[in-house]
Amino acid sequence: MKFTQLLSESAGAMLANPLRTLLTMLGIIIGIASVVLMLAVGDGIKAFINKQLSVLGSNLVLVQADMRKSAGARLRTGTVQTLTLDDAEALNRLPSVVGAAPMLTTWSQISVGNDNSNTQVQGTTPASFKIRNLRMAKGSPITEVDVASAARVAVLGKKTAEQLFYKADPIGQTIRIDNQSFQVTGVLDNEGQSFDAGDIGEIVIVPISTARVTLVRTASPRSVQYIVVQARSAETLNDMVVDVKELLRDRHRMRAEDEDDFRVVNFGEFAKSGEAIATGLSVALGFVGAISLVVGGIGIMNIMLVSVTERTREIGIRMAIGARPADVLWQFLIEAVTICLVSGVIGVALSAGLAAAVTATGKFDMTVGFKAVAIATLFSCAVGVFFGFYPARRASKLQPVECLRYE
Amino acid sequence: MMPTDRSGSDALVRLTDVRKSYFSHRVETPVLHGIDLTMQRGDFLAIMGQSGSGKSTLMNILGCLDTPTSGSYVLAGQAVGQLSRAELAGLRNRTIGFVFQSFNLLKRMSILDNVALPLVYAGVARKRARERALLQLEKVGLADLAKRQPNQLSGGQQQRVAIARALVAEPPLILADEPTGNLDTRTSADIMAVFAQINQARGQSIILVTHEPDIAACAKRLVRLKDGLVLYDGPAREGLHQLQQDDATEQARRATRPAEATV
Repeated sequence: MKFTQLLSESAGAMLANPLRTLLTMLGIIIGIASVVLMLAVGDGIKAFINKQLSVLGSNLVLVQADMRKSAGARLRTGTVQTLTLDDAEALNRLPSVVGAAPMLTTWSQISVGNDNSNTQVQGTTPASFKIRNLRMAKGSPITEVDVASAARVAVLGKKTAEQLFYKADPIGQTIRIDNQSFQVTGVLDNEGQSFDAGDIGEIVIVPISTARVTLVRTASPRSVQYIVVQARSAETLNDMVVDVKELLRDRHRMRAEDEDDFRVVNFGEFAKSGEAIATGLSVALGFVGAISLVVGGIGIMNIMLVSVTERTREIGIRMAIGARPADVLWQFLIEAVTICLVSGVIGVALSAGLAAAVTATGKFDMTVGFKAVAIATLFSCAVGVFFGFYPARRASKLQPVECLRYE
Repeated sequence: MMPTDRSGSDALVRLTDVRKSYFSHRVETPVLHGIDLTMQRGDFLAIMGQSGSGKSTLMNILGCLDTPTSGSYVLAGQAVGQLSRAELAGLRNRTIGFVFQSFNLLKRMSILDNVALPLVYAGVARKRARERALLQLEKVGLADLAKRQPNQLSGGQQQRVAIARALVAEPPLILADEPTGNLDTRTSADIMAVFAQINQARGQSIILVTHEPDIAACAKRLVRLKDGLVLYDGPAREGLHQLQQDDATEQARRATRPAEATV
C-alpha cells in the first residue's frame, strides 16, 4: 500500500470523529508546546545575556581597588587607594590585554539653565570608548588631548542629553557639573544596563584628569577607583585574568602570603550564572513537556486500542481483500504518527504565538527557531511510533475470520 | 479467463479430505469431517446446507480466511497449508474476489475507492487503480455513483459495488457468501443475473453459498452439505430436485408422526 494512500486514510479516520481526535491530541499539543517553549526560553535567555554583554562590551573584567591587608593588620577601607594610572598603563601593555581604561566616578548635580538632574559622572580615558563599545550619536568622544590638558569637556548619555536639552542640539553647549562649567562635545548612542553605572544612557563622561581636579577627591594624585580591562577573546579571558593578577601583585610588591589588594570582577562569570538559570528553566519546562508527552502518548495508545476494536470488521474486510498484516500495522501506525504530527504542528503554532506575545511585551525576546521545530517534529513522531506500535501490532495480529464475524 | 492451464486436470480448487475442528477449553468440536471437492475453471458452484452443516466453515477455508485442521487445499496450483499470513493475504488478493451477505463496503470511503482497494493492496498506483475501478463500476452500471459514500446507496446497489470490487483485480475465483441474504426478491434476481452473466460471458469461476433453492438454481453445479460431510455433489438441476423430494419426505414424516400419536 502506498504511503500517500495511507496518509489520506489516516486523515479520513481522524476526521471521522473530530472531537475525540482533538481531545486525544491535547496532551501531545501541550507537551510539544512545552518542549518548544523550553527551547525558546533557553535561547531567549542566552540572547538576553549576549545583548547585555554587548552593552557592557565583550570579554571585559573590572579590576577594583581594595584595601591593603598586610601582616594581618587591616587599614580602614578607602584609606589607601591601591590602583593607579600607572597600573592601568602597565595593564595596557600586557600582550593578553586589548585595552585598559582607568575610571573615577561620582554622582553629581548637572544643570543647564533651570533643568537639573543627579547623574553619575565617569572620569575616564579615550580607551574606555573603544573597549566598552561606546558609539557616538553626535559629536566626538573624549580625546587624549582632553585628558592631558584636563579640559572641561563632557560627553552626555543619550537620555541625559534629552533631559537637559530636549530636542535642541547639545553640541557646543555649556552644562554645569557641581557648579563648574563643561562644554558638551558629544552624545552617546548606547542604551541599556551597564555593569558600573546603571543605564548607560544616563551618564556623563569627562576626562579622568578633569574629574580628579574638579569632582572626585582622591588619596593620591594618580589613584583610580577601578580599571576596565578587555581580553582578546572569551577563550583567553581566564588567562588574561591570571596575567593581570600577577602583574598587579608584582607592581604592588606583594609577598606570596599577602592577599590581593584589588578585586577582579569577571563578567564572563555573570554570563555563566545566567546560562545556568536558563538551563534550570529549560530543564523544568522540559520535564513538564516530557510528562505531558508521556501522558498524551498513553491517551493516544488508549484511543488507538479503542479504534482498533471499533474497526475490527473493517480490518477483517481489508484482510479478506488482500491487506497483509504489515499493511494493517502500517495503517494504524501511520494514523498514530499522523495524530502526533498534527498535534506537534498545533503545539509549535501555539508556542510560537505565546513566544510572539511575550516578545510583544518588550521585556524578553523569545523566538521559536528551526531547531525547536525540528526537535518538536522528531518528538511527536517518536511518541506516535512508540505509543501507536502496540495497538497497530494488535490490529495486525487479528484473524480475518473472527474480524468478519464481529458486529 | 485464464487460458494458461498447464494441464487439463489442473483444477482451480482441489480439497482433499479436509477436516476442521474448533477447540475451546481443549474440547474438540469437529465441524468438517473430511470434505473432498474439486472445481474446474469456469464452473459455477452452489453450496447449500442447513445451519450447522459446516458451510460457513467450508467457505472460510475456501476463501483462505481460515486454515484446515487436516487435509490439503490447493488453490490455483498453490498449496494453501504451508503459507504464512502475509502470503495468504497475497493469495486472496490475486485469486479470490469476495462478495458478502452484508456487502462489507468500507464506510468513509467513496464507492470508487472501495472498488479500487484490492488493486491498491496489490501495489497498483492510485491513479491507475481508480481508472480500472471506474471501468469495473461501468460494467455493473454504477459509474455515476462513483463519488458517493456506501451509505448513500441502496442494498442492491451496494452489492453491485461489492461485485465490482470482487472483479476489479480479475481474480480467477469469486466467492459469494449468501450474496442475496439481505436483499428483496427482485433485487436478488438482479444480482443473480449479474453472477450468471459474468459466469457465462467471461467464464468467471464462482462459488456461491446459499440456503435458498431459487438462488442455487442459478448455478451449474450443486454441493449439499450435512453434518460436515458432502451429501450431494452433481448438476444443480438434479440436486435441487432431490432436495425438494427430501424436504417433501421430511414434511410428510412430520405430518404423519402426530397423527400416529393420536391413534
